[in-house]
Amino acid sequence: MDIIVCIKRVPETAEADIVLDAGKKGIDTDGMVFSINEWDNYAVEAAIQLKEAQGGKITVVSAGPEENNEVLRRALAMGADDAIRLTDPAFEGSDAIAMARILAAAIKDIPHDLILTGVQADDDGFGGTGVALAEMLGLPYAALVTDIQLDGDTLTVHRELEGGLEEVTAVKMPALLTIQTGINEPRYVSIMGIRKVAKKEIAEKSAGDLSLSGDDIGVKGSLSQIEGLFFPPVGEGAEIIEGTMDEKAETLVKILKERGGIA
Amino acid sequence: MDFELDLEQKEIVKAAREFAEGEFDPQLAFELEKTHTFPADIRRKACKLGFVGIHFPEEYGGQGYGIMENALIVEEFCRRDSGIGSAVVLSDFSSEVVMRFGSEAQKKAYLPKVASGAYISGGGYTEPDHGSDITFMNTTAVRDGDSYVINGSKTFITNGGIAQFLIVLCQTDENASPPYRGQSTFIVPTDVDGFEAVEIEDKMGLKMTSTAEIYFNNVRIPADALIGEAGKGFYQVLEFFDESRVEIAAQALGIAQGALDRTIAYIKDRSQFGKKIAAFQVNQHKIADMATRVELARLMVYKAAWNYDKGRIDPTLTSMAKMTAGQAAVYVADEAIQMHGGYGYIMENEVERFYRDAKITEIYEGTREIQKNTISSGIVGRYK
Amino acid sequence: MKKIAVLVEHRQGEIREITFEMLGKAHQLAGSDDEVQALFLGDTSQKELVAKVSPHAHTTLAVYDAALKDFEPLRYGSALEAVLSNADCDLLLMGQTAFGMDLAPALAAKMTMPFTSDVVDIEILDGGVKATRQMYSGKVSAAVSLKEAPKRLLTVRAGAFPAEDVPEVSGEVREIAWSVDGDFAVRKFLSYIEAAVGDVDITQADVLVSVGRGIKDADNIPVAQELADALGGVVSCSRPVADKKWLPKERQVGTSGKTVKPRVYIALGISGAFQHQAGMKGAATIIAVNKDPKAPIFSIAHFGIVDDLFKVLPALTEKVRELKG
Ligand SMILES: Cc1cc2nc3c(=O)[nH]c(=O)nc-3n(C[C@H](O)[C@H](O)[C@H](O)COP(=O)(O)OP(=O)(O)OC[C@H]3O[C@@H](n4cnc5c(N)ncnc54)[C@H](O)[C@@H]3O)c2cc1C
Ligand SMILES: Cc1cc2nc3c(=O)[nH]c(=O)nc-3n(C[C@H](O)[C@H](O)[C@H](O)COP(=O)(O)OP(=O)(O)OC[C@H]3O[C@@H](n4cnc5c(N)ncnc54)[C@H](O)[C@@H]3O)c2cc1C
Repeated sequence: MDIIVCIKRVPETAEADIVLDAGKKGIDTDGMVFSINEWDNYAVEAAIQLKEAQGGKITVVSAGPEENNEVLRRALAMGADDAIRLTDPAFEGSDAIAMARILAAAIKDIPHDLILTGVQADDDGFGGTGVALAEMLGLPYAALVTDIQLDGDTLTVHRELEGGLEEVTAVKMPALLTIQTGINEPRYVSIMGIRKVAKKEIAEKSAGDLSLSGDDIGVKGSLSQIEGLFFPPVGEGAEIIEGTMDEKAETLVKILKERGGIA
Repeated sequence: MDFELDLEQKEIVKAAREFAEGEFDPQLAFELEKTHTFPADIRRKACKLGFVGIHFPEEYGGQGYGIMENALIVEEFCRRDSGIGSAVVLSDFSSEVVMRFGSEAQKKAYLPKVASGAYISGGGYTEPDHGSDITFMNTTAVRDGDSYVINGSKTFITNGGIAQFLIVLCQTDENASPPYRGQSTFIVPTDVDGFEAVEIEDKMGLKMTSTAEIYFNNVRIPADALIGEAGKGFYQVLEFFDESRVEIAAQALGIAQGALDRTIAYIKDRSQFGKKIAAFQVNQHKIADMATRVELARLMVYKAAWNYDKGRIDPTLTSMAKMTAGQAAVYVADEAIQMHGGYGYIMENEVERFYRDAKITEIYEGTREIQKNTISSGIVGRYK
Repeated sequence: MKKIAVLVEHRQGEIREITFEMLGKAHQLAGSDDEVQALFLGDTSQKELVAKVSPHAHTTLAVYDAALKDFEPLRYGSALEAVLSNADCDLLLMGQTAFGMDLAPALAAKMTMPFTSDVVDIEILDGGVKATRQMYSGKVSAAVSLKEAPKRLLTVRAGAFPAEDVPEVSGEVREIAWSVDGDFAVRKFLSYIEAAVGDVDITQADVLVSVGRGIKDADNIPVAQELADALGGVVSCSRPVADKKWLPKERQVGTSGKTVKPRVYIALGISGAFQHQAGMKGAATIIAVNKDPKAPIFSIAHFGIVDDLFKVLPALTEKVRELKG
């Protein structure tokens, strides 16, 4: 079974102090730690588990600058076989749909039975690149997948719905799935893995290589555009409890008592 | 000249960091510390991922990298937790003696098992009466047919209570002159008759690591447990120390960096006199001093490792690296406690453990003073 | 005159709340001579559901076909295309839900509609469509514009707009013909699996001590449990904690977990992503402990402590115990 996994490199922002960049259309990522998008890491692991059971080949694809080789190499070390980086100044400013177009142009020429992406990316939280990609490739798909069982050329998957409800759906391969966190336990990168892929080249493809014209990609090829970023209004917000730890705890207990928090 | 790690080395650092962050949990560390428990599960996982014995050749179960890559892992592990990190990285201690000087059969029998996690190793050099000076050993190994019989004792032996085998430095010829020409090293399995390990429970740090006194009472081992040639033990051990000093220096570097990390976070968080204590310039300067010492240590450790991997033996350089890194660890951990105030003095705070674990790096694998002897004799020459 | 269409979302015989939230917003965006449309896809047995939405739209366009009984994006997409060729709406809204996320991006790609997802606010100015969406798990907002086009598409975050007070208008229902055309067997709905029932039902608890990724490790759960025990409450969690199996899935609060309305909800080391907020913002009192003062959780919490949860927890537990003697 040949699998393609699309992965993204994103800054870790959960505990970081975010500062907007000068143009206010992006954030200042200076000094930030980057890693593979959490959802994509689960997708890579899902691909490896399928390969371990079925054989075949895994190709990881990432669009972005040279730093993206980090996440590609990491996926190789985990167990992927090939890596391709899509890179061109012309890609800049692409919205998620244009990005799907870039990915589709690269993927259509690589043999595949299954394509995996994460449900969404940590940074833009768009949550639609995979599904748009499936449409562009003319593949059946399922989003928000939390379980995969293989039966011949059909995948029986669980899709996560709201409120803990799940849907069981059959998808015939070739197909695309967007992978939800928690579907597996992603492995650590091993030294054996790093060593095995040390000499591995990462193929690069430009807009020209993919026969993409400037009208399809970048700002021009994107039908949506970020006008600007801003910090969400704080609203009323929480009343912040100050003081020594003892005082804080004291105040909290008082609040808990008033509000029925102590049974 | 290039001061950057190469791509693979950066990946190794990241892999080690991800593993340590995922597995070395502070709460768990606190429990292991209090109960003096070796982190056996974590070590097993680390072995499975190739972190332990990364510098062993592939044919002996290792990953074929150099001591540079080993140092990077040691640094990352100890940075994340001085206790768990040290215990895990020391679990292959002295295996290098087998790797560098052992026979093919010895290497095949022991190294893959250490790398896979089946065996823990250790090295017995120090004796109650011989620490810095190991030119004469009271522990003897006497040839008897096709075996050797060992008698004597060793002390402060890392992993002594949990290892499957130890490398033991013995006097095989008490009349040799100078006496160290009569020393030999042996591989001693710990399950042989007459072998006894007594755990030294109460010590300042390294609580998750076993440190033991070892007694040999007519321990009989086959003659082929001898490593290399008889009479060459002292030289082997000195050469081994040149390598192991770099590992201990990396341990010190990791401890220093870990204490620094926590201190930077703490001073940005703690407020006194109505502002963050990071706002006081005295604290900023302290961080500057700490960070500079850490960087200095790192440069020396990396250079020493790099040089060793180039096949150059340079005790002056490795001693400088170990001395510098050990001093950095002790200095930074001390300032870390200072800047944490009372909270730093409490066991629940990680820097308290870092502080206690830092000190040993100035003692074992040659005390700071012995490093200076090595450095000065390398530079000035031997004057008596 | 502009026309704003809302795709009705229904599951297991019920209209989902997001539908009314979108209809409400559509009415707010619509001027006096504008039109709000509801688009309904289902089978004939679901006709009664249409009656619940049609009073809230000027026009309801419905396709009834046995093939549309359960949500399946390929069929729904095809039927929706048929509807849209009749609907001539300028803007289509769908939910950023398991339903919308499985359909909208494909539709946008197929029909070349300008599209953005997960919006929390919408503005229509001189025919231009501007939306606000969040990035970096809610720490940053983005103003996004959609280019000029006959039809534009947005998916709307659940809970972003109120579902109450959706205006009633005398709506007509028009049936649109559609028949299965194409190979839809490649994706087939099989069944639902109901959420597992655990040993504790967090939806029934009066007090929830809820832990997020900030709790760092399974070994630390007992520290939260101690507080919960002292308070007579129950421990719940955010998604990463359930993903890592530190707590069972039934303890997860949020869109893909449970919706809870306790008297007091204490969020410890939870950043407050909207999927989490959706499950707990109905709590009477929300107390958040997080070391990041900019964590989005503080925007919906009533009380906050900016500090290390591992310091707050023991201090609080002790005080509660003191109080209870
Ligand atoms: C936790 C722990 C783990 C250890 N693990 C091992 C192990 O696995 N294997 C092993 O063989 N040993 C191990 N050791 C022993 C360690 O290597 C020795 O303690 C160390 O070499 C110093 O020897 P000593 O304790 O006998 O001190 P001494 O040699 O008695 O030194 C006492 C002091 O005198 C100074 N001194 C000695 N000679 C000179 C000199 N010529 N010039 C200037 N100053 C001098 C020393 O620097 C020191 O300050 C361990 C020790 C500890 C505490
Ligand atoms: C389709 C879909 C459905 C989803 N459903 C849900 C759902 O139902 N429920 C849900 O929760 N999520 C859900 N998510 C995931 C959601 O987007 C977030 O990823 C998740 O809620 C983040 O969890 P968290 O706040 O625990 O972790 P993080 O966002 O990583 O936040 C951790 C927080 O802990 C703080 N912290 C760290 N250490 C400490 C400390 N020592 N003391 C104090 N604070 C500390 C940090 O400052 C940070 O704010 C869903 C996502 C998708 C795509």
